[in-house]
Amino acid sequence: MACSNLTTMWVSSKPSLSADSSSLSFRSVLKCPTNTSSPPSRASSVSPLQASLRELRDRIDSVKNTQKITEAMKLVAAAKVRRAQEAVVNGRPFSETLVEVLYNINEQLQTDDVDVPLTKVRPVKKVALVVVTGDRGLCGGFNNFIIKKAEARIKELKGLGLEYTVISVGKKGNSYFLRRPYIPVDKYLEAGTLPTAKEAQAVADDVFSLFISEEVDKVELLYTKFVSLVKSEPVIHTLLPLSPKGEICDINGTCVDAAEDEFFRLTTKEGKLTVERETFRTPTADFSPILQFEQDPVQILDALLPLYLNSQILRALQESLASELAARMSAMSSASDNASDLKKSLSMVYNRKRQAKITGEILEIVAGANAQV
Amino acid sequence: MTLNLCVLTPNRIVWDSEVKEIILSTNSGQIGVLANHAPIATAVDIGILKIRLANQWLTMALMGGFARIGNNEITILVNDAEKNSDIDPQEAQQTLEIAEANLRKAEGKRQTIEANLALRRARTRVEALNTI
Repeated sequence: MACSNLTTMWVSSKPSLSADSSSLSFRSVLKCPTNTSSPPSRASSVSPLQASLRELRDRIDSVKNTQKITEAMKLVAAAKVRRAQEAVVNGRPFSETLVEVLYNINEQLQTDDVDVPLTKVRPVKKVALVVVTGDRGLCGGFNNFIIKKAEARIKELKGLGLEYTVISVGKKGNSYFLRRPYIPVDKYLEAGTLPTAKEAQAVADDVFSLFISEEVDKVELLYTKFVSLVKSEPVIHTLLPLSPKGEICDINGTCVDAAEDEFFRLTTKEGKLTVERETFRTPTADFSPILQFEQDPVQILDALLPLYLNSQILRALQESLASELAARMSAMSSASDNASDLKKSLSMVYNRKRQAKITGEILEIVAGANAQV
Repeated sequence: MTLNLCVLTPNRIVWDSEVKEIILSTNSGQIGVLANHAPIATAVDIGILKIRLANQWLTMALMGGFARIGNNEITILVNDAEKNSDIDPQEAQQTLEIAEANLRKAEGKRQTIEANLALRRARTRVEALNTI
């Protein structure tokens, strides 16, 4: 029909050319193939565009879902951080009272030479590393940082020619060390979702028996210290011996302490065991100067120092958990922001393609209408 | 006059109120504390703390620590503490049996130390339930 229309047009517009029938028929033949080719090209051009739009829409939906998930995880982590902080606050009366009691006891014991196994400093031949990691991922580099710290420390100990063993706390650390048989691991322990005295006791028991039986000469605690919601850092603390400030050396006199090592509040003044005094928030009654000791001072300290050890380990577990949750909060917050940006840009691309498709369709309709005239 | 008892563990305050009398297991045996007791500091063994209120006794399992007494105030710092009302009888009994089995199987100095400690803890929790 289109061909016949074209033929009629040419005849009516230029009657002078009616005699040259051969050239006219040639032109008609030229037009027909052009019309024939347009339907298949139209069909082929529409299919990929529609497929692309569908893919884009699916992609946008999945990004939306991801954003919902990361937003929810962020809120859950924020709530858990609050609970972790409450746990630290709940433990404060114990810590404060313990420090005060240790201070008072040591004041009374200044005249005695006290020999307590947990404070005994031996030449260091073997070190135990307590590595505290989290149970789950999606918290940025939290687990990797502490594991790298542990690896660096292991390398240092090897360099100094010392033996070492690892006590791994937390699923991430457990799976890491399980895949590396060349690293000797004494125990794999679980951290649990909210550490309590029971978890700390499990670690303390292991550490206590290792040290008392003289299988190791030093115990170091690697965990992530909670500085603030946006900052935390892996640290190494010397847990045992509960020792005075200063360098601990092996039999060759080489220092084995990590550069950033920190000692706990137990220190010595003039060779006597003592405790640095902290500012107390809760008022407590003063100790009576005529205090009697039911047992030997050694036994008293034997009872107190394991409490101290346990509370230090619990503190480390709680700080590690708070750091993990803060890291997860940050990671999920970043993920939500990224998902939001991605959704925006994908929507723009989708809208542009949709408009291009509609414009193309309109142009085709207009061209078709013009052809009808 | 009454005593003020405070039992602290690393993650909570277990008890903080007035009592009439307590019986405490120390490393050198049990001691009873009434009002106006002399100032004293003692190590606390893994054992039972008995608390006498107006006209009834309560028991609590303590997992070792330290206690100081003075000015009618008792402060007990322990690794863990459980009131008898908080202890599940079946779970405690099972834990005791497991601890006994572990002690029989223990080899070497370290395992024996650990198994002994676990057994004493489990036994204390069972005793806290049975003592009246």
